[in-house]
Amino acid sequence: MSLKKELLKHLSDGVVEMEEEEVAEAAEKFLEAGYPAFDGIMEGLVDGMNRASKLYEEEEYFVTDVLLCSDAMYAGLDILRPHLAEEEDEAKIKGVIGVVEGDTHDIGKNLVKIMLETAGFEMIDLGRDVPLQQFVEKAREEGAQLICMSTLMTTSMGGMETVIRMLDEAGMRGNVKVMIGGGPISQKYADKIGADGYSSNAVEAVKLAKNLLSIA
Amino acid sequence: MLTPKERLSKAMQREAVDRAPCICPGGMMNMVTADLMDEVDIYLPAAHSDAVQMAALARAVYEQGCFENYGLPFCMTVEAEAMGAEVNMGSQIYEPHVTGYVIDTVSDWRKLKEADVNTGRSKVVLDALSILRKETSDIPIIGNLTGPVSIAGSLMEPIVFYKELRKNNKEAHAYMEYVTRQLIAFGRAQVAAGADIIAISDPSGTGEILGPKFFKEFAVTYLNQLLDGIRKENLKTIVHICGRMSQVYREVDEVSSDALSFDSIVSLKEARSHLGDRILMGNVSTYALEFGQPEKVKALTRNCLKNGSDIISPACGLGMKSPLENVQAISACLKEEA
Repeated sequence: MSLKKELLKHLSDGVVEMEEEEVAEAAEKFLEAGYPAFDGIMEGLVDGMNRASKLYEEEEYFVTDVLLCSDAMYAGLDILRPHLAEEEDEAKIKGVIGVVEGDTHDIGKNLVKIMLETAGFEMIDLGRDVPLQQFVEKAREEGAQLICMSTLMTTSMGGMETVIRMLDEAGMRGNVKVMIGGGPISQKYADKIGADGYSSNAVEAVKLAKNLLSIA
Repeated sequence: MLTPKERLSKAMQREAVDRAPCICPGGMMNMVTADLMDEVDIYLPAAHSDAVQMAALARAVYEQGCFENYGLPFCMTVEAEAMGAEVNMGSQIYEPHVTGYVIDTVSDWRKLKEADVNTGRSKVVLDALSILRKETSDIPIIGNLTGPVSIAGSLMEPIVFYKELRKNNKEAHAYMEYVTRQLIAFGRAQVAAGADIIAISDPSGTGEILGPKFFKEFAVTYLNQLLDGIRKENLKTIVHICGRMSQVYREVDEVSSDALSFDSIVSLKEARSHLGDRILMGNVSTYALEFGQPEKVKALTRNCLKNGSDIISPACGLGMKSPLENVQAISACLKEEA
């Protein structure tokens, strides 16, 4: 195995095995050996995160595991990203994501964010208990093409419909795709409030986002 | 005819009943709706902090024909607040929720204070229980606790907490022991104040989040420690766990409560097939309760009965905008079927 392949394997395995320090070390070595940061990210870190997502989909890995895998991935990204050539760090499709007002459960939201970032989206994280107007304002400011909202509480799900109405009123509805998710949310609810899509987990959310924005 | 308390007590011991009981415990499983508040002119969030109003709202739930129990409080922040978390008390629509954590890592658990059940909203809950206790002997009174994993994830950033279960395992256990000790004290005080039943909801401690290994190591272990700590003659217990169970039926069966309650994503037929003769509670969809029609609610209620639910209840907390006639339809249906 060539050194490059070996280091890529370290990066990918380190993410799957949640070894933050080993990933950071492999990323340093990768740069020292003069290999392009872009390859390290795509064929190492993202490859590892995709494998972790697959394990999550197969119910081999659980939320706590994926969170630690993503820590390892971000540790590697912090080292490799500053060395990307400018054209490789090009404009990505932007999305805003947050937990709607009234709710602070953000584990699902964080997972979706991680998976979408792994898939190449630039996600602007509004956090949790987000005032509804902020989804609209941030999306306008950032030129986002995607708005992702979640909640685990029946009491706060109505806020999603309000955001969609606000987008309508602001004349922005045609420019953004709205995805929703969370415990009490369903496809039926998405249809009812006029969202573009619903997904039941983070892996599905990536497929849905790509589908809505016609990305292969 | 059985009183509601006799019926529930018998159902929880698998004795013959005239029909299934219809309850909603309170706590995470909120049963106060906007319609109900209008009927009795008592409103949240004020009633979260006032024992007389809290007792009156709990009473209204029964008197308006919604559920055959009294239950309180109506949120899951009382315990975390007593341990130092900052809480936003919510509004008529939103539930109270934690807005400020107390510690940054599980290792800091020693900085947390011992909760005093005789002050603040803990005392409100105990006083409200005492008020209800004096008034009734026929209606079962349910006191609620938030489960250990959920409290642990309310005093610090849950993402960090979940990671530290693996990375800082020993201190994570020490932290869980602290949390469980506080909950035992509050649970015992609720029983002393008059609760017939304690319901524990642990929405952050699910099989889906933790996976079977950590679910057993953290959720099941400390739920059982809590149940052991409050166990008393004639006290009955309910544990509600959120999310899918398919990965963790064996572990769930180790939870030593009298009854197990699941949310609507769990098929009761499937649960029954994995959990033998456990007393099961649930699980009428709260989506249908908020957005459906009474007939739909009745159909779901009959389905719960058919699939082997011993105690009929909503699958989760009710949305505040659930129409009163939908909420009343569960109990109405059980009476029709009897």
